Amino acid sequence: MSRVVMNACMLSVLAVAGLAACGGDRGDATQLTTTDELAELSALPWDSVVTRARGTRVTWRMWRGDPAINAFIDGWVAEQLRERYEITLAAVEGQGAELVNQFVLEREAGRGRGTASLVWINGETFSQMRAESLLAGPWAGTLPNSRFVDSASPIIARDFEQDPAGFESPWGAVQFALIYDTVRTPEPPRTINELADWIRAHPGRFTHDQSFTGVTFLKLLMYARGGGVETFAGGFTEERYARGRSAVFGWLDSVRGNFWRGGETYPPDVAAMHRLFANAEIDFSMSNNQHDVLNKVRQGVLPPTARALLLRDGTIANAHYLGIPFNAPNAAGAMVVADFLLSPEAQLRKLDPDVWADGTVLDVSRLSAEWRGRFTALEQATVGIPGDSLRRYARPEVAPTYHERLQTDWRAWVRGEAR
Amino acid sequence: MQRAALALRPMLLALVVASPVLIGVLYAALASVGVAGAGASGHVALDRVVDVLSTRSTWRAIGWSLYVSASATLLATLVAAAVAMRFGTIRRTDRAARVLATFPLPVPHLVAAATALMLFAQSGLLARVLFAVGLIDVPADMPALVYDRAGVGLILALTWKEIPFLAVVAFAVRHSEHDALSEAARTLGAQPAQLRRLITWPLLWRGMAPAVIAVFAFALGSYETAVLLAPVDPAPLAVLTMERFADPSLARRGDAYVLALVGLALAAVAVAAHEWARARWSA
Repeated sequence: MSRVVMNACMLSVLAVAGLAACGGDRGDATQLTTTDELAELSALPWDSVVTRARGTRVTWRMWRGDPAINAFIDGWVAEQLRERYEITLAAVEGQGAELVNQFVLEREAGRGRGTASLVWINGETFSQMRAESLLAGPWAGTLPNSRFVDSASPIIARDFEQDPAGFESPWGAVQFALIYDTVRTPEPPRTINELADWIRAHPGRFTHDQSFTGVTFLKLLMYARGGGVETFAGGFTEERYARGRSAVFGWLDSVRGNFWRGGETYPPDVAAMHRLFANAEIDFSMSNNQHDVLNKVRQGVLPPTARALLLRDGTIANAHYLGIPFNAPNAAGAMVVADFLLSPEAQLRKLDPDVWADGTVLDVSRLSAEWRGRFTALEQATVGIPGDSLRRYARPEVAPTYHERLQTDWRAWVRGEAR
Repeated sequence: MQRAALALRPMLLALVVASPVLIGVLYAALASVGVAGAGASGHVALDRVVDVLSTRSTWRAIGWSLYVSASATLLATLVAAAVAMRFGTIRRTDRAARVLATFPLPVPHLVAAATALMLFAQSGLLARVLFAVGLIDVPADMPALVYDRAGVGLILALTWKEIPFLAVVAFAVRHSEHDALSEAARTLGAQPAQLRRLITWPLLWRGMAPAVIAVFAFALGSYETAVLLAPVDPAPLAVLTMERFADPSLARRGDAYVLALVGLALAAVAVAAHEWARARWSA
């Protein structure tokens, strides 16, 4: 509550500042918009874009919830950008709904340029930012490294079925997996049905979180019990959703009583769920990234015997992207950073489980033999789920409305309200 | 004329101080009726307000948040007052006790909540101690004290966090207590018990009242502690507000502003009640 009022207060401060600015400086009206600037930059040879980006500062609003990711960005990425382009990278907190709200406030306050030049987005955030015209573009196709992107993959070429249309550039791909402990659960369930049996046989040992990962689990249930991803592909319809919803909540109703805390309450986020799992309050955790478990074991967050588990009914894979906001102050810098993150070097480093274990969006076969070899070597050295199993069980995302509705209906369901 | 201008001055000053909040309220009001904010339709419509106020979870959130913040405020007030009464002298041990009571003052609420989580979770420190002494066998045997519907963990975390603030106020009130008043009562033959009941306590309560109201209003709107320790159902008002503010559906984000105004109204009622009580005390 206080935060909402605080946001409103912030807007009022911005508005006052805006009024003050109107008095002396009327330059805003004649200034190029970020979209104009991007159009201009896209027409230039890449060297000129780099020249313009040299010595500038790029503020990147991103999710800051994982120490491994933060270390990668603030460490290696920031250093490389400084060395190669003299770009100062400042990664600051800001993701999802909060990001959308803040850009709406900035737009309403009417200032010329904002502070962030780059945002980390996907799915519903992309759809909302597009709907509210908060993204500048198109620009992603002009990045030199975009030629290596695996454009044939439905998981990368479509963001929750939306065409990125050059308004966002992919930079990583992940796949949902359950996490279990090979010592505590040597014979884990492999399908949704087996999972239901397992939950009934082990009351109080399973739950899911309330946030994005939990809803992804619900969506996975929707695919598996509602007729497969094909049923929901091709846009949102109430009719199909009604079918999916009854499949999801039917399954939940049949096992809820055997959930952790009798299904009365749920961990607020993945971090809380990992903690419950590590402390042996529950026997499964989950993650949107199949290799996250390797990372968390290395950090000591999860026990060394924790492993990822794919359900054979299929698990959801998606990509994440970079966008340039409508009021970005440094469009050239943002493009150079996005291009660097698509480079084989950055993609390989990001893929390393000792760094982050974030999947690549590149089609490795388009790379030189040398880079291809490095990617293959890393995959062979990784003890996670092998790539062909991942691809076999990967299912694409569907329209973001399914995600939104499942979230809303789940909250109503848990609170005993009519849906 | 000049007198009127002089009388206006404090009003103007108050307006300057309140203006960010007033503008915020105005914006929240506009966003509640769909004129501003994400997903705004641009024309006035009351459907958000009606929708929020006719939802069961809103009223459960209001009730639960009032219960939690009132309980925590009451507990913290009692402890703070007791500490001030018990350790009120200038003896070295009393002074040390007073300093100790204020130790948690600079601890952020977020840290207090995280600590409560580590202590009270079913796999927390308390559970491990109980396990070590053989009182429980598995985590589930430990009574649920976090994410619990009774809000025990949240109430305790808020109480622990508010005690030092209220204690500082209580010490100050006791310190400034009119010795002349007690002296006069003693001269008139009042016993120590009568002195406490008729002079010390009433002065302490009245002196602490504004701080108690502030703590209540703060606890009611506190998000950080609530989001870490509260259950999904009933959801605390602050958590419900933030949930709507970040709703995946842009059309529902207006709900957050309605809920924010509800929270503000509740806090305003508490302040008004205090003003009313003070007017009665002065009369």
